[in-house]
Amino acid sequence: MTDTREHFHQNLSNLEQSVLDNANRCIKMSAMAVEAVVLPDLDLAARVAEEDLAVDQTYLETHNRWINTMARQAPMGGDLRLMSVVLHLNTTLERTGDQCVNIAKMALVTKDLPRSDRVLQMIREMGDLVTPMLRTAVDSFVRRDVEAARLLPAMDEPIDRLNRNMYRAVVDCGPAPAVLEWATRMMMVARAMERIGDQAVDIGEQVVFLVTGEFVEFADPGDHDGDRV
Amino acid sequence: MNLERSPVRLTGGQSPVVDGSPGDERTSVVFDLEELNVFYGSFRAVKDVTVPIRKNEITALIGPSGCGKSTVLRCFNRMNDLIEGARVEGSIRYHGVDLYGDDVDPVEVRRRIGMVFQRPNPFPKSIYDNIVFGPKIAGRKTGLDDLVEESLTKAALWDEVKDKLRDSASDLSGGQQQRLCIARAIATNPDVVLMDEPCSALDPIATLRIEELMLDLKRDYTIVIVTHNMQQAARVSDRTAFFSVDVNEVGQRTGRLVEFDTTDKLFTTPAQTETEQYITGRFG
Repeated sequence: MTDTREHFHQNLSNLEQSVLDNANRCIKMSAMAVEAVVLPDLDLAARVAEEDLAVDQTYLETHNRWINTMARQAPMGGDLRLMSVVLHLNTTLERTGDQCVNIAKMALVTKDLPRSDRVLQMIREMGDLVTPMLRTAVDSFVRRDVEAARLLPAMDEPIDRLNRNMYRAVVDCGPAPAVLEWATRMMMVARAMERIGDQAVDIGEQVVFLVTGEFVEFADPGDHDGDRV
Repeated sequence: MNLERSPVRLTGGQSPVVDGSPGDERTSVVFDLEELNVFYGSFRAVKDVTVPIRKNEITALIGPSGCGKSTVLRCFNRMNDLIEGARVEGSIRYHGVDLYGDDVDPVEVRRRIGMVFQRPNPFPKSIYDNIVFGPKIAGRKTGLDDLVEESLTKAALWDEVKDKLRDSASDLSGGQQQRLCIARAIATNPDVVLMDEPCSALDPIATLRIEELMLDLKRDYTIVIVTHNMQQAARVSDRTAFFSVDVNEVGQRTGRLVEFDTTDKLFTTPAQTETEQYITGRFG
């Protein structure tokens, strides 16, 4: 196979690698952020914030290189689809990084508050689900694996369910203001994890587009008309 | 064939009636190529091309050198007739009429199906005379001034030349000369304009002007363009045919159609691996 656009394809490969660098940072950050809240561990929370600086920096650099590449190279076919996906994932992952920071920040504001075992268990469960889900999404992109990408809505369903049930668990924490304040913060943590789950599903949709050329919005098995609270 | 029942008469003399409403996938086909093969003597230059060309659309023919795209283009107005030993097999129907039928007049075909070439080729005459040359030969004697203005206006050249219509066409810039050739082609009131790499000798600004002109002209004409410039095909065309070339053991090159689809589809999600490799610059 002769590649008459070798320099362009190297640029494209570098852009994809930058997005993957951020993806791997986000996988690490999501695990660290949940851990920082659950322990709580303020040093770990600070490391999440530091990692997010790298995510933001890579995001901006990738965006600028993307614009230049698009302006100069006029990609076509699969190259065009990959360019589109790179731009989409770059933005999605920057937001994922922000959600990780949102989670990590809660370690600081809740570190001295009393806790609810039930709510803490739910946060742990969500954390155990969301990081592998993000990894699955990124792996499906790396391997161009449509079947793996299509698994993501089902992986997202228990995260959505736990998030929906969080409200009732927080209300059940009782009248003690300090516990209620902690639990309310955990609702925000749950919400951030739910968003990361949705972003992983979004990555999966992009993988399907990249491989097939068709944009399909995955049906969400956990999508309900009303909130189950 | 009973040409009297056909929507287009190509036997000369009368103005053809063109049928087909835009947007109707069935009736709007201007050319219907089926299993078209083109031979030069015993050598097959193009094989098995099946493509519909639709009314008021721009269809681009793209592919590597030697893939037969210009050969196919020249079949649309029987320009290959002028090459000794050239013959076609399969069929080209023009508004349902067999373009290569025995009773079809090639001169009438070329009046209905105009052509613009790679290099601007104005006649060594005035701008005015370039426009009226064809219509005069066809017998037109009145309304020539209006025809000149209308043709030059359609070709986006009127404002630039209206005060120097009697100047020599060769004094115009390359881009202006090419627009003059387009004006000359449409002065005979064709319904199809064929363009064989019409911008390859022009600078980028002149190229973009021709492309804008093509987008304006397709309201009134059906356009088929051969271009080496994939970006040009992507910018202007509604549908694209991608041709490739097979080389036999003695080095003879035979073109074949690989894929034909809407330009949006072909340049974003082509169905054929060969198309994908070509448009992304990967070969072999």
